[in-house]
Amino acid sequence: MSKPKAKEKFSFKKSLANGDVTAMVMLIPAVLMLAVVSIYPFLWMFRYLMYDYNGMTSYFSGTYNFTRMLEDKIFWESVGHTFEYAALKLVFIIPLSLIMAELMVQKIKGSGIFRVIYFMPTIISTAISALVFSFIFAAYNGVLNAVLRATGIIDQNVNWLGDKNVAMWAVIIVAIWGGFGNYMIYFMSGLSGISKDVYESAMVDGASGLTTFFRITLPMLSPMLKVILMLAITGAFKDYESIMVLTQGGPDDRTQVMFLYIYQLIFGTATTTPQIGYACVLSLVAALIVGIVTAVYLLIAKKLDDVV
Amino acid sequence: MKNARNLGIKITAAALSVGVLAGCGASSSSTATSTSGGAESTGSNGDVTTIEVWSNNRHDEAYMTEVIEKFNAENSDVQIKYTIMTDDYWNSIQLAYQANTAPDIAAIAASDGIVLNDYVNGGMFESLTPFINEDAEYQKVNETADHMYEGLNSIGEDIYWVASGVRSGSRIQYNVEMLKNAGYETFPTTFSDMVAAAQAVTDPSSNVYGIATTSSAPFVRWLEGIGEMSGAAHMGYDYTTGTYDFSSWKPVIEEAAKLFTNGSVLPGSETQGVDNGRALFAQGAFAIWGNASQEAGVFTEQFPVSFDWGVAELPTMDGEVKGALSCTPNYGYTMLTSCEDKEAAWKVISYLQGEEVLKGYFEGGYSLPMSSYMADLYDSSKVGRLADFALTDYEDVYPSTPAVTIEGDDYQVTLWNAVMGNVSVDDAIADLNERYNAALERGLANGSCTRVVIADFDPMNPSAGTAEYLTE
Repeated sequence: MSKPKAKEKFSFKKSLANGDVTAMVMLIPAVLMLAVVSIYPFLWMFRYLMYDYNGMTSYFSGTYNFTRMLEDKIFWESVGHTFEYAALKLVFIIPLSLIMAELMVQKIKGSGIFRVIYFMPTIISTAISALVFSFIFAAYNGVLNAVLRATGIIDQNVNWLGDKNVAMWAVIIVAIWGGFGNYMIYFMSGLSGISKDVYESAMVDGASGLTTFFRITLPMLSPMLKVILMLAITGAFKDYESIMVLTQGGPDDRTQVMFLYIYQLIFGTATTTPQIGYACVLSLVAALIVGIVTAVYLLIAKKLDDVV
Repeated sequence: MKNARNLGIKITAAALSVGVLAGCGASSSSTATSTSGGAESTGSNGDVTTIEVWSNNRHDEAYMTEVIEKFNAENSDVQIKYTIMTDDYWNSIQLAYQANTAPDIAAIAASDGIVLNDYVNGGMFESLTPFINEDAEYQKVNETADHMYEGLNSIGEDIYWVASGVRSGSRIQYNVEMLKNAGYETFPTTFSDMVAAAQAVTDPSSNVYGIATTSSAPFVRWLEGIGEMSGAAHMGYDYTTGTYDFSSWKPVIEEAAKLFTNGSVLPGSETQGVDNGRALFAQGAFAIWGNASQEAGVFTEQFPVSFDWGVAELPTMDGEVKGALSCTPNYGYTMLTSCEDKEAAWKVISYLQGEEVLKGYFEGGYSLPMSSYMADLYDSSKVGRLADFALTDYEDVYPSTPAVTIEGDDYQVTLWNAVMGNVSVDDAIADLNERYNAALERGLANGSCTRVVIADFDPMNPSAGTAEYLTE
């Protein structure tokens, strides 16, 4: 039986020589920033969970914020709308960005220009682009209605942002336009990592373009796809800026999503005071929902890995 | 080589750490400097005090710059540093106050929507009463005793800001020719006639509509005023009983809903910002628009209207005015408690709300005068179309209703949803009565609000009653 190894004594000199101390010192700025801008605000939130807090004065309200949350019809509808928005956005944006990435890596003439054009929405302010879309969607004199009428697709103007049946589609169109260029770049980065030799072998074996895509590209892209999907899911669940500009959650709360509702509670309206304590409770619940969705996705992704 | 690289890494790490620590130090040192408030004393030939003034008014920037430059040129002991901040104005002031970097003076108006009680209880606002009592000229110009509104600018005997100006209640702006062509020589005095006029103007085949709304607070633009003048409870609050009762709004909402059902509303205007509506009115896309006195400047400068446009008083349900139209006090200044040199700050407030500055302000068309003294003094012929929005006898400032924390949408959103047909009027009213009264009871229980009761409340003269503030 071998003798257990004696615990090594900490030596500052040795740690310095190993670079441990240097690494720790270099980590200080990042840790400090994380503590100040992320951990502290998160802990601060817990302070007001049981208070009616308007930004100036806080009044103890016991468990009221929690019971209110359970019965809050607008909040739970907003949770449903968030799932609907995220699902529809992802269903369109992921395949679209993958197809565009596949086309962009083909080195077709002029693809560089298109790459810039498609990526541009990512770097434009969400508020500005949503404002421009509000003009495009305008029911009375919007460009979209004019084009659709000119091409004979519709014979009456559609109230894109004011009709409960179409408003969600309008905000999803803006979300797809604003996000697909970003995911396209991610996919292009993944595609560029697949060896050319594999494609050449497939060509020699007589595989068609579609077969190559489904049998080679997709499986080899799967590690990148997993990351992109996770980013897309969490991103879609947290979206609210463009909706705030386009519909403010209307008409009749049809496009109200979780984080927009929380935002409105925190800042109040012309006739309502800020409800920061209640918004803190909803933020916590919303964070839990996004966390659970992400965890479920990671679990499914892991199972798929095992199968594949 | 390796040692040299390690040394380089260590130096970089040390520099970064020192930078971060120095940054923290600098931050606390700058906080310490701002603890002195905005007032800084400098100069070798006697102290010069700089008073920092923040404002959320952009529309009067040119004039205010001029009067502040004049003050700074004429005063060697006190200087004004004037900053305009339009976004998240009161949030910014709150944050600055907590960080000891608040201004000495902040411009304030009733439309800011802040709850005075919270700011006073939070220790942020200085009572101006001792300064006002010593300043007879200020009292004369602003008629301070006549313009104390409990919960809005004063609490008890303490005045926290005084409004020199006022934004009129809503008016109707209309395209004279379009209404004339539809058979209306003057604007209707009853709401049902207004609805009929909007329908008469509407001709979708020519892309012309009777009226337009907006996504930005549509309820307050004109409908709330029609309700108030028709005798509906201001903000749904019954001052005589100290409870909420929105039932008086029913006929008003039902009549307004007809505008949507008969197709008189410009399609999609309820989803567009207020400036879109203004621009389309100026283009002649619809005939009737409603808003307060700011439209005088909008339709002469921002979106100049080339056709003949009229300004009419709001109609009422039966043509009779049964309640006061609420107007909005503005152009006031409040002093923050963090101000170090309060005498100097008062000198600035007294100047900014003095006769000379106010005369130019009102003649420039930036606001309407609140006091009768200034109303008599300024030359109203210089204000252009703002003269059409002059205050009427039935306009008044309502006492503040309890600052309740309601669940769900506020009354403006809920009633507008009923106008749009998203919910029945009866359901909307029942829902509002339940939620607002429940919120009032909760607020009374946790001490966040009081029940205001005015036994002698006169809807035509709401500011005249004697208010009682009950804690249950």
